[in-house]
Amino acid sequence: MKEDMILLREIERYLEGEMSEQEKTAFETLRHTNPLVNKQVEEHQLFLQHLGNYGKRQQLQTKLNQIHQQLDMPSLRKQAQEENQTARRLTIRRRTITNLAAAACIALVTSLSTIAVIQNVSKNKSTAQYEDVRRVLNNIQRSQNAIISDMNSKSRAPLNPGTYGGTGFAVSGNGYIVTNYHVVAGADSVYVQNNKGEAFKAISIFEDISSDLAVLKIADSSFKSQPLPYALKPQSVKLGEEVFTMGFPRDEIVYGKGYISAKTGFNGDTTAYQVSIPVNPGNSGAPLLDSKGDVVGIVTGKQTTSDGIAFAVKSAHLKHLLDEMPKDKQTRKDWNHKSRLEGMNRVDQIKKLEDFVYMVKVYN
Amino acid sequence: MKQNQDITRDRELLLGLAKGEDKSLEIIYSENFPVVLRMILQHNGSEDDAKDVFQEAIIVLYEKVQTSDFTLSSRLKTFLYSVCRHLWLKKVHRTYGLYALTPELEEVIPAAEELEEHEARDQEFRIMEGAMSSIGQPCQTILEDYYLHKKSMQEIAEKFGYTNAENAKNQKYKCLMRLKKLFFDQYKTPL
Repeated sequence: MKEDMILLREIERYLEGEMSEQEKTAFETLRHTNPLVNKQVEEHQLFLQHLGNYGKRQQLQTKLNQIHQQLDMPSLRKQAQEENQTARRLTIRRRTITNLAAAACIALVTSLSTIAVIQNVSKNKSTAQYEDVRRVLNNIQRSQNAIISDMNSKSRAPLNPGTYGGTGFAVSGNGYIVTNYHVVAGADSVYVQNNKGEAFKAISIFEDISSDLAVLKIADSSFKSQPLPYALKPQSVKLGEEVFTMGFPRDEIVYGKGYISAKTGFNGDTTAYQVSIPVNPGNSGAPLLDSKGDVVGIVTGKQTTSDGIAFAVKSAHLKHLLDEMPKDKQTRKDWNHKSRLEGMNRVDQIKKLEDFVYMVKVYN
Repeated sequence: MKQNQDITRDRELLLGLAKGEDKSLEIIYSENFPVVLRMILQHNGSEDDAKDVFQEAIIVLYEKVQTSDFTLSSRLKTFLYSVCRHLWLKKVHRTYGLYALTPELEEVIPAAEELEEHEARDQEFRIMEGAMSSIGQPCQTILEDYYLHKKSMQEIAEKFGYTNAENAKNQKYKCLMRLKKLFFDQYKTPL
């Protein structure tokens, strides 16, 4: 303890420069030889520095407090409070206005859009999502010369591709063809054309708007009747059953394959199936056949909001329609044979079928 | 242009502060305190909070100008405001747990770096303060008189009624040793 104090005193004297020259050299040698002493000196220097900092800071703090006391606190307080209040009032007002404006905007938009949506829905409920797949044929430029050449060959349909196109298929060997009502609706004249390119004039003899079906009769002397290779299957098909179709979305017959995806049609329509099958404008009226080659439905339309969803009128309705047809136009007897396509592979089935699927061209 | 002028004036003030001129300190204090007071009051602080925070910011500034490499890059007002804001955020954080201030629109410069350095110094100061307060009043006064107020041992001896300067000196060394011990006990093992 005593020695420590003496050492401390020596260090202080050394640092403060109170030592004589002789003492100083002696002390410095001691520092060099004794690391403990040296450490003490350095520590003391550091300590004095800290102490100095402490002093300065304390001094500063005292000064600050003095200055603070000189401040006119009451008036500052008042000023700050006033400013804050103004700021708060402003923010509150601003916030209220913003909120009100936002609420009003939302209300306005909501009501307007509700009105718009309701009107739209009630007006275009079916057209919004449901699309007839008849084909709009508007390449009129081809028709110019065609009409003239048509005058010379009577057995041929006008080369004019027509305004609308759809598909139809034979329901009897003697020229009765079923297609969709929406294909032939409002038609001035109807032509049907088979895959070989033979065209026949047809007339619509029976139409049923509710099931969207129409029966055409080929009224052309060049038409030769031939027995149907397929039958109508009036029973309901099972969910998931594989079906296929053949139609004329273009000038060539197109084969498509799919399956029954629901037993009701668009918006729960019980007269139709929902079919997962690729369908394009022009497929309207195409036959929907099961794997045995029996007709189970007629393609009518598709859902525009999602791809690959088509609808087909159930064959039961076609049977119903044919039953209802005036007696003199009966076709029923042709249906009462068994399908000749059963057991064939698809390629052969198609080959047999394609003669009985027609492109329906509508002129109006 | 006006901003440049302001910065020039601010720099002069800082030079004064570095030299320890009371006038500069007073100007800086009285000009910037109201803004900080307003901010702290706005954020649910008290006047005392404002005083503490602001004075700490001044200390930060003071420490900064003591080191020669400090140059003021923004306006003094902005600097102090930002430092105060950081300090207040920290304080609120410490006392109330998580609590977010409303986002400010005022110009704020990042002051985290400045504060880090300050915190280390503040730590040292607290240790010294604690050591000082625990060596007892007479010792504290002797040491402060000698080391901080640079009084001679003769004066101190007279003030405390020692018979001679030598006795006072012995007493001073005793006190100094205690203080040193207390200080280094904590300084070497900072929290």
